[in-house]
Amino acid sequence: MEVRRDISVSSANVYVEGVDLVRKGVQLDLSSHICWHVYGLIHKGEKNYKEALKCYTQALRYDKENLNILRDAAQLQTQLRIYDGLVETRHTLLKIRPAMRQHWMALAVAYHLNGNLTEAKKVLELYEATLKNVPDYDVEHSETMLYHVRLLEDLGEFTEALAMLDVNAKSRAIVDRTSIMEIRARLLSKLGSDEAEHAWRVLVEHNPECYEYYQGYFSNLGLTLDATNPTAPQALAVLQEFSTQIPRATAPRRLALTIASGEQFRDLVTPYILSGLKKGVPSLFSDIKGLYQDPAKQQIIEEAALDAQTQFSAAEPSSSAAAAEVEPTSYLWTLYFLAQHHSYLKRHTQALEILDKALAHTPTLPELHMFKGRVLKRAGDLFGGARCLEDARFLDGQDRFLNTKSAKYRLRAGMVEEASTLLGLFTKKDAATPGADLEDMQSLLYLVEEADAHNRNGHFGPALKKYMAVNKVFDDFEDDQYDFHGYSIRKFTVNIYLNLLTWEDRVRSHPAYVKSALAASRIFVAVHDDPSIATAATATAQLTDAQKKAKKKAKKAAQKIQEDAKKAAAAQTNNNDDKGLELTPKDDDPDGTKLLQCTDPLERAANLLKPLATLADTNIEVWIATYDVAVRRKKYLQASKALARVAAIDAEHPELHIRRVEFRQRVSGLAEPPQVVSPILTESIAKLLPDEVSVETFNSQYLQRHSTSGPAILAVAKVLVKLQTPREQVEETLFTALEGTASLDIKTALAIVAFLHTIQSPREVEFRTRCGEKFELSTVFKSAEELAELRQLALTAPHALPDKAEDIP
Amino acid sequence: MNIRLAKPEDLPSIQATNLQNLPENYLMKFWMYHILSWPQISFVAEDHKGRIVGYVLAKIDNGEYDEPKDSEKTEIHGHVNSISVLRSYRRLGLARKLMILSQEAMSTIYKASFVSLHVRKSNKPAIALYRDSLGFRVAKVEQKYYGDGEDALSMRLDLVI
Repeated sequence: MEVRRDISVSSANVYVEGVDLVRKGVQLDLSSHICWHVYGLIHKGEKNYKEALKCYTQALRYDKENLNILRDAAQLQTQLRIYDGLVETRHTLLKIRPAMRQHWMALAVAYHLNGNLTEAKKVLELYEATLKNVPDYDVEHSETMLYHVRLLEDLGEFTEALAMLDVNAKSRAIVDRTSIMEIRARLLSKLGSDEAEHAWRVLVEHNPECYEYYQGYFSNLGLTLDATNPTAPQALAVLQEFSTQIPRATAPRRLALTIASGEQFRDLVTPYILSGLKKGVPSLFSDIKGLYQDPAKQQIIEEAALDAQTQFSAAEPSSSAAAAEVEPTSYLWTLYFLAQHHSYLKRHTQALEILDKALAHTPTLPELHMFKGRVLKRAGDLFGGARCLEDARFLDGQDRFLNTKSAKYRLRAGMVEEASTLLGLFTKKDAATPGADLEDMQSLLYLVEEADAHNRNGHFGPALKKYMAVNKVFDDFEDDQYDFHGYSIRKFTVNIYLNLLTWEDRVRSHPAYVKSALAASRIFVAVHDDPSIATAATATAQLTDAQKKAKKKAKKAAQKIQEDAKKAAAAQTNNNDDKGLELTPKDDDPDGTKLLQCTDPLERAANLLKPLATLADTNIEVWIATYDVAVRRKKYLQASKALARVAAIDAEHPELHIRRVEFRQRVSGLAEPPQVVSPILTESIAKLLPDEVSVETFNSQYLQRHSTSGPAILAVAKVLVKLQTPREQVEETLFTALEGTASLDIKTALAIVAFLHTIQSPREVEFRTRCGEKFELSTVFKSAEELAELRQLALTAPHALPDKAEDIP
Repeated sequence: MNIRLAKPEDLPSIQATNLQNLPENYLMKFWMYHILSWPQISFVAEDHKGRIVGYVLAKIDNGEYDEPKDSEKTEIHGHVNSISVLRSYRRLGLARKLMILSQEAMSTIYKASFVSLHVRKSNKPAIALYRDSLGFRVAKVEQKYYGDGEDALSMRLDLVI
């Protein structure tokens, strides 16, 4: 076992030597199960599960009944989702050691994962028959029985499931009371039993804030939580009964608001709002804004809030009698609520007026500053927003929530270094940078926001680096399940374990992954189209003077913090002698420059997008990005399929319009005509853009259909450029987006500005100015000089604020 | 707000909520380990869109590996590893409701005799919740428990079985 020892003392160098030795060992003796096993261990350590399993399979050829190897192989098979192989391995293990209880459970789970619930059930029955003298209150046994009930339920054997549940609940073999109640209610409903109603009621009484229990209770009675359903009055009566019966519960009162309408709604919502305002519940508005889909409810809520304002403001002047009844903060929270109300309805100016009134009343409530920042951000004043958030943070420096928000707003405004300084107030002092710590701690929020900020600033290297760091976090999430393939079975907690695997299979559907994969793929495509982007990035000289200054300043501040911390850390770790075991290699590409210059950008993009084809298949952007990559990789069939997916979701989508044209142009420019390549391809191209229609006509017809849509106008302009239309005409088209009848949001307006810039239009400034007038509160359209000034202003310390905020209500 | 048992698919949101709110953060595997080991005692609160706004993450300690001197520690007990509610969702009593559900599950399923937790000495609102609203008492002060050198109050609540 010399080799093994080599690895176990692996510091970086020895590790490499060890791996070499093992490789030599395998070559020298192909029939040594030890060599294959160790080689497998190395691959596993490198998270190369596929190769590891190959080695284990080899090792098993020479030592068929080696328990350790079999167990490791089973874990690898689970990790790789090779479930038929898993069943076989688990079978072997059970045959060798039938006395080990976990081997039975392991086989049942393997069958389950392989889709064979009947066999899983059989194994479990055999296992239970072997059990003797199960101790009382044995959580492992309880979980096993719950798993058995679950299998029966999944097999549709509801009567048997219920019987088993009841018997084991009574004998206290199952100790998890909540699970018993939940499964019982569900099974009784499925069986159409009269007892179901009571079972659901018991659950509601057990946890009256759990929506699922109400839903269960309702659907069992044939009721829904839908206001338009004719059964609404009945449902409302049930909820009111619950409210009376469980006065402390908020869920039934909130659910009633969804179902009620008209005067009844008014009678219910008024006390709901008043009580929230009196208590100073900050989430009151976000709690009820879902009701705004109904304009009548919106109106009633506004009236109720205005009434509250009158009521509370009357109590405002310090007339002692009134003050005794109404806290001054009620008035403040009412203003806060009204500001949110107006902002939601896009009345930015009105919202700001109310907020200023509230801030004049009490300047020390962080929520007011936070919301003012949000209004400004929504209205297109990113620096103003960042400044407000800093005002909020300043009031309670110990609150990480405010810190995170303020840093996020700085990132939204493109102030990457300045955001980092803030984040550093809560990250580990011995970390290389605040960002490095947040990356280590798997902060998706930070990674995505900073990547986006770099991306918007045109720093594609650092942006790509962070997007890929998000990808790495998801790799880790997937790796994290590995140990549980063994652990959960030993612990018999298989119900949650099976749910974990289901979640892991879909983990990359997380919005942070989707967003990062899409953004990274766009950068990879851009750098493929124009490799000069990558070389430009090497010259960090892109930074403006102000940015350089900020960077220097932030770096200095960060350095000081770190030095202090290192001293402290050194003092602590001196007596720790297993140093030097760290295998973390130094990052030789901190700014993502090399990443940007990689030779296979399209392949990398394709890899990032691959999981999304199943996990986010209703997302138009996913298919657009898939097309963009496929068409450049000359995978035309895949490209056409991707566009067909977009067309099926939204045939008139502006990005699709551009690509219908682009695809035809690309394919018709091919040396080898597509008929030769594939008749299916020719057919699908014709479907996307019929042969007999000219691109010019196609484009103008699209414009006619969507002449008032900002994004459509931009799409048409992009096609015009592809058709070598004179620039003046393209500009003419783009400027129609500013007309009163057109719908144009800030995001699209900025995209148009960027496009005018790429076509070197002399009218860019004019467009910016007009946007500045159209979005009156915005600052994003201002000139570089003006923006530099605003940026400075956003960083100045808040003034005229008390330094302690203890009187915050 | 909907309050329910934590599920594996909540893990990224729980981790994100923690990172946004508290200075003590953990890797995914830590969160995963807890809900996979004790799947019945961690809970979440979510808003109407299904976004997690608060959580409680707990574990069971069998006392087997603790110092044998301390007889109290050998009892089976629950421990709250991390609890937090987003600032914007405070004053709804969410933390209290989350705690009560967790405590009840610890007691009925694991026969835990008490529940313990650590709280920063300076965190007055949290201490008030544990002591005044939930009935915890201070068992001892742990000097310099937190990374930044702050003391922790080690608090306990006896659970009635």
